[in-house]
Amino acid sequence: MMDKDKKEFLKGTLDMLILKIVAFGPIHGYAISQRMKEISKDFFQVHQGSLYPALHRLEDRGWLEPEWKESETGREAKFYKLTRKGRKQLGNEMESWARMSDAVKTILGAVE
Amino acid sequence: MMRRLRRLFHKQTAEKQLDAELRYHVEGQTADYVARGMSAEEARRRARMEIGEIEDVKQECREARSMHFLEDLMQDVRYGARMLRRSPGFLAVAVLTLAVGIGANTAIFSVVNAVLLRPLPYPDADRLAIVLVGVGNATRAPASQFQLFQIRQRTKEFEQVGGIWVTNGVIPGDGEPEQVKVGFVTTNFLPLLCARPELGRFFGAEDEAPNAPWGVVISHGVWARRFGSDPSIIGKSIRIGANSAVILGVTPKDFKFIFPSDASVPANVDLFYPVSVDGSDPNGPGYLHLIGRLRPGSNTARAQAEADSISEQIRSLRGSSGASNFRLYIFPFQNDVVREVRRTLLLLFGGVGFVLLISCANVANLLLARATGRLRETTVRTALGASRGRLVRQLLTENALLGCIGGVAALGIGWAALRAILAARPASLANFSGVNLDFKVLAFTFAVAILTSALFGIAPIVASSRLDLTQSLKEAGSTAGRTGRAWNKLLVAAEVALGFVLLVGTGLLMRTFVNVLRVDPGFRAENVFSFQIPSPKYEMLHQLLENLAALPGVRSAAAVSHLPLDSTANWYDHYWKEGAKPEEQNSVMADHRSILPGYFRTIGATLLEGRDFTESDDAAHQHVIIIDDVLAQELWPGEDSIGKKLNVSDSPSGPYQFQRDWAVVVGVVKHIQCHSLTLMVRPQIYVPFQLAPRPMSVLIHTTGIVPNLATSVRAQVVLLDKTIPVSNVGPLSDTVARARSQSRFASLLAASLTAIALLLACVGIYGVLSYSVAQRTGEIGIRMAIGARGADIMKMVFGSSFRPILPGLISGFLLSVALTPLLSDMLFGIKPNDFTNYAENVVAILIVSAIASYLPARRATRVDPLVALRHW
Repeated sequence: MMDKDKKEFLKGTLDMLILKIVAFGPIHGYAISQRMKEISKDFFQVHQGSLYPALHRLEDRGWLEPEWKESETGREAKFYKLTRKGRKQLGNEMESWARMSDAVKTILGAVE
Repeated sequence: MMRRLRRLFHKQTAEKQLDAELRYHVEGQTADYVARGMSAEEARRRARMEIGEIEDVKQECREARSMHFLEDLMQDVRYGARMLRRSPGFLAVAVLTLAVGIGANTAIFSVVNAVLLRPLPYPDADRLAIVLVGVGNATRAPASQFQLFQIRQRTKEFEQVGGIWVTNGVIPGDGEPEQVKVGFVTTNFLPLLCARPELGRFFGAEDEAPNAPWGVVISHGVWARRFGSDPSIIGKSIRIGANSAVILGVTPKDFKFIFPSDASVPANVDLFYPVSVDGSDPNGPGYLHLIGRLRPGSNTARAQAEADSISEQIRSLRGSSGASNFRLYIFPFQNDVVREVRRTLLLLFGGVGFVLLISCANVANLLLARATGRLRETTVRTALGASRGRLVRQLLTENALLGCIGGVAALGIGWAALRAILAARPASLANFSGVNLDFKVLAFTFAVAILTSALFGIAPIVASSRLDLTQSLKEAGSTAGRTGRAWNKLLVAAEVALGFVLLVGTGLLMRTFVNVLRVDPGFRAENVFSFQIPSPKYEMLHQLLENLAALPGVRSAAAVSHLPLDSTANWYDHYWKEGAKPEEQNSVMADHRSILPGYFRTIGATLLEGRDFTESDDAAHQHVIIIDDVLAQELWPGEDSIGKKLNVSDSPSGPYQFQRDWAVVVGVVKHIQCHSLTLMVRPQIYVPFQLAPRPMSVLIHTTGIVPNLATSVRAQVVLLDKTIPVSNVGPLSDTVARARSQSRFASLLAASLTAIALLLACVGIYGVLSYSVAQRTGEIGIRMAIGARGADIMKMVFGSSFRPILPGLISGFLLSVALTPLLSDMLFGIKPNDFTNYAENVVAILIVSAIASYLPARRATRVDPLVALRHW
């Protein structure tokens, strides 16, 4: 994948990935970045600098809700929680992702 | 909305939280790396590197939030403030430039507004008109009772016409005698200028009745000072001289007269006596300064037309014995009051407008250079996805912020400038109160400044919007830079042109002032002190002068009814020589002055022919006069005037009891400038005090500074008569300084404005040139590498700097030729197109430009080719 295309691809999927990770339960930004590293280690690496603007964007749209509470290290941290709107959005995105992924598979299968 | 506001106020917390969130990330990552065995130092470095530039992340996070206008604005303002803080030099110069331009404008406009635009503080001020009498060589004369009577009889355009005459008098009541200004007013006069008295009433028609008790109106000042603000003062009797008068009313505290300076109506008059308008004497003295209120719907043009026909009728009434050239002039009152300062103020206003233009050009220049320099930054941000609108708004905010800071600084400068102007203001402006910083104009100039900085700040970006992004990334320094440089040149040319016009105008005004300083007024003010006393008896006055002359350090003492260049109510009247035809009588006027022997010696005037008065020149002997050379030349050119007879007005039977007499000329004195240092208004006739007693000014010529002179003078007066008040003690040079004040004011302000303008232009030229040298460092490096010497580079830089200066100079020259004739009325002893003035100022502009160009040019010669080329 060319750099530029990868970037575009990322921008679309990043939101969904974040929502998905947060869907497992309240989680703070650093933990999200760690999880992302784990999940996507081989395929791509999310630049940590772009994680936070994305989090703030999602929060601004009302999909994520911030909550300040003590983290596992005993320090106050900003946790993100999925809102109802966010859960719905995640559902929508996963659905359309699945549709697209099916379509791609079909096309690829047909060619093979 | 509430939510937005809350968010706005919680911004501080939001910022803190953002900070904490990112810090948490970095620290977590660091700890993680340490746990994996990295050194703490290395771990932190890596963690930071991974997240990238923290400031950028923060900014992106802020931008990720939805765009709420207020919040956005605050954010832009903060960002702008940060950017401005980053270049303090630019900030200081730009703010100062703006502040000077706006501040000076605000100060001058505040004066213009208070004096020229705001209506006078009188009821229906826009309907007030001044009525002046023209007879022969006098065009602004007061009217006689007869003339006022005739006008009142005939006018339809005026609702009311009233008159006032002010002289010196002694305050009634107990306590120290005090000399005050006494206004003789027609009974309808005070209501013309004052809506209602503070207490009691003004005069009415009933006070004109022959058997009416004598009523007076007193000022608020006298009421407070002499009567302890007694609320039951109305109706009480006070002694005035040998008579008693009833106090009818008290004028309001802030009431004062704002009259044309030649009307001799001072701001504060403390005592008012009513005069009835008697139409029986067609040849009575003219002394009433008339003010009329036009009826609603009328105007001065119609009133003038009516006045023309009334003067025609008055001329025919008087028939062959009357003045054939009698005329009435009607002017809007306010216009007439400000007619002397109007031009000065408007010119200063124009000048300060030029300064504002130069400031704006300067700021525009600075911003252009800055914006062009930042083109790479903006291009990068555009590439990263920032919308152009957002960028433009960001920059607009930053520049508007700059304008705002400049505006605030301008407030301070404007305030200081206004203090300075008020301190230097000429006598003609002294009566205007409420000269305050005008917030309307401050807002306007603020807007101009913000607009200028905003527009010129974004111009390069807008200009570059047509360019391809990548193209622009590569050539950020040159492509748009070239547009910028063209603008720069234009702005420099404009600054030079405006600066030159100011220089030429100021040169003319300063030369005028120098000429005014050099003018010979016909008398010597040095070491002459004066004070005023109300009409004394001759014997007392004579004795006083002898006693004063005997004081140590006093050379001589004398007395005159009207100090030269002072504003005491003038005394001028008709004169004619023997054999004058009836129509020549009552047609020309001369200033009349009552004097005691020794006046000319004391004041240093030159007696050209004949003799001074003596003690025996009284009513019992042949009436005599002394005339000035102007009158002698006019009446008897080439002849000896001594011994000739003139029909003049004097009053041997008491103050103001005028009668006409034939008097013999016994002396000719050199003309003394009486009304202005620069204009010969009227010739003068001197009458001995015994033939014309009236309030006098006593003059003392000393050998130098005499300590406690005022005290010893008062003591001498008290010794002779303790009921006589002494007032206006002071050096005669003060009076002369007051006469110069208008010219001094104009030249002082013009000089200050020009100094500011030149400094600004200097900064502008310097800035532009420094910038272009910096931009051309590479090119200069190459030139030097291939053998150009310092002198060649110097020549090149100077050449490029003078390229916009020469066209600027030419436009400035043309502009000056067009504009300086506006100054003609204010000039004295110099013509607007004076060659030396032009030549000097061309040199001045060239010198200033050379100074401004020198530093950047020198810097260019210090360019190290190796360094320059490496960075190219």
